[in-house]
Amino acid sequence: MKTLYFKEVLVFILLILLQVLLLNRINIFGIATPVLYLYFLLKLPVGRNQFFVIISGFLIGLIIDIFLNTPGMNAAATTIMAASRKPIINLFYDKEIYDEFVPGINTGAGPFVRFTIFMVLTHLTLLFFIESFTLFNLLNTVIRIISSSIISILLILALDGLTFRKKAGEQ
Amino acid sequence: MRNLFNFIIRNSHWLLAILLIVFSFYLVFAHNPYQRSVYLTSANSVTGWFYTMSSNVTSFIHLRKNNQMLLEQNAVLENELFSLKSYINDIAVTDSSDVDAFVRDSTEQTQFNFIPAEVVNLSFSGVNNFITINKGSKDGLKPDMGVISQRGVVGVIANVSTNFSVVIPIINPMFRLSARLKNSVNYGSISWNGERVSTAQLGELPKHEIYQAGDTVMTSFSRIFPKNTIIGFVSSMGKTSDDNFNTFNVELATDFNSLQDVLVINDQFYEEQKLLENSLER
Repeated sequence: MKTLYFKEVLVFILLILLQVLLLNRINIFGIATPVLYLYFLLKLPVGRNQFFVIISGFLIGLIIDIFLNTPGMNAAATTIMAASRKPIINLFYDKEIYDEFVPGINTGAGPFVRFTIFMVLTHLTLLFFIESFTLFNLLNTVIRIISSSIISILLILALDGLTFRKKAGEQ
Repeated sequence: MRNLFNFIIRNSHWLLAILLIVFSFYLVFAHNPYQRSVYLTSANSVTGWFYTMSSNVTSFIHLRKNNQMLLEQNAVLENELFSLKSYINDIAVTDSSDVDAFVRDSTEQTQFNFIPAEVVNLSFSGVNNFITINKGSKDGLKPDMGVISQRGVVGVIANVSTNFSVVIPIINPMFRLSARLKNSVNYGSISWNGERVSTAQLGELPKHEIYQAGDTVMTSFSRIFPKNTIIGFVSSMGKTSDDNFNTFNVELATDFNSLQDVLVINDQFYEEQKLLENSLER
């Protein structure tokens, strides 16, 4: 149990560093920016305490905000996603899954892809609308949401596939 | 009650989430000028819309009152228009050379032009009285031009600016004008003793000159005013400092307290006469 938390803290820090130091400097065609740190919320075990999920979601958003100098924007979006994570999991997975179940490609690729797409799209929609905060130039905002979502989803699935293969290789 | 507590405990993570989301949005608005500006402007447009609606409603309620006010104003303007129209008719009938102030003399009248002007300032507070009129050098006014009202002599222009002129009236101690009684050829001099605005003094008349109350006082030889311009009417015998001369109190024809429109006399031959007389002096 302790090693599990340790691993999660490590992933937490690595994702933040990756997002802040590398991914946020990418701006494909001036519209698409990959957002990877949501991967942390996706990979938490299903039965994890809701307080833990919500607080960690808020913290990851807040720390990224502090690095990017956009106080509150990422924090608000990730907190909403963290709070609604359990109902969204119930949408895509059976109710009979056990508490220690971790969503991933290795534990059912189909539901995980759908779950990822839904989570990332919702998260980025929230994020970009908080950022622009107006319906003015709606088309531009929608294009940014969709392109960033595609990049982010591809990146998350690739990362999950990589770790899955590594684990498979270890085993 | 227990159910309520259970409900709260079961859903406390939602409360936490809402709390954190509210805090996040607080951070967004507190630290991001762009979001704050958007929030404030949208709030402004909402309040602006509200104010517009309320003003629409109140203006509709006040329509009747405004209508009444417009009617009253319309009546006032109608009256003014009517009086102005009749005034124009009066002017059209009486030619400017027919000013009541003159005893008509057909041979001399072409010499003079009249420039109408309005009084913009009257200073009758002390001894040093003056009148300001709204015509100046732009309209051809020069110092030493005479100024008359519809009834009689007002004064002489002392200073001229582009748009205004200052008139020294009869009721100024500096003012001197030669004058005579209507049925006499002897002339004296009009001056003002500084006592009453409506009364000037006709002095330096020969002792044998007698008067009847109401005798007309007119200008005699003057470079400034046409001959026989009415100055006023003799009212009483005045005090005199010299036994050889008589002084009469003259009720002035011009009412300085209600003076509004004046005419400035433009003497066409003024320069010619002055040049001729000055050449003799040299």
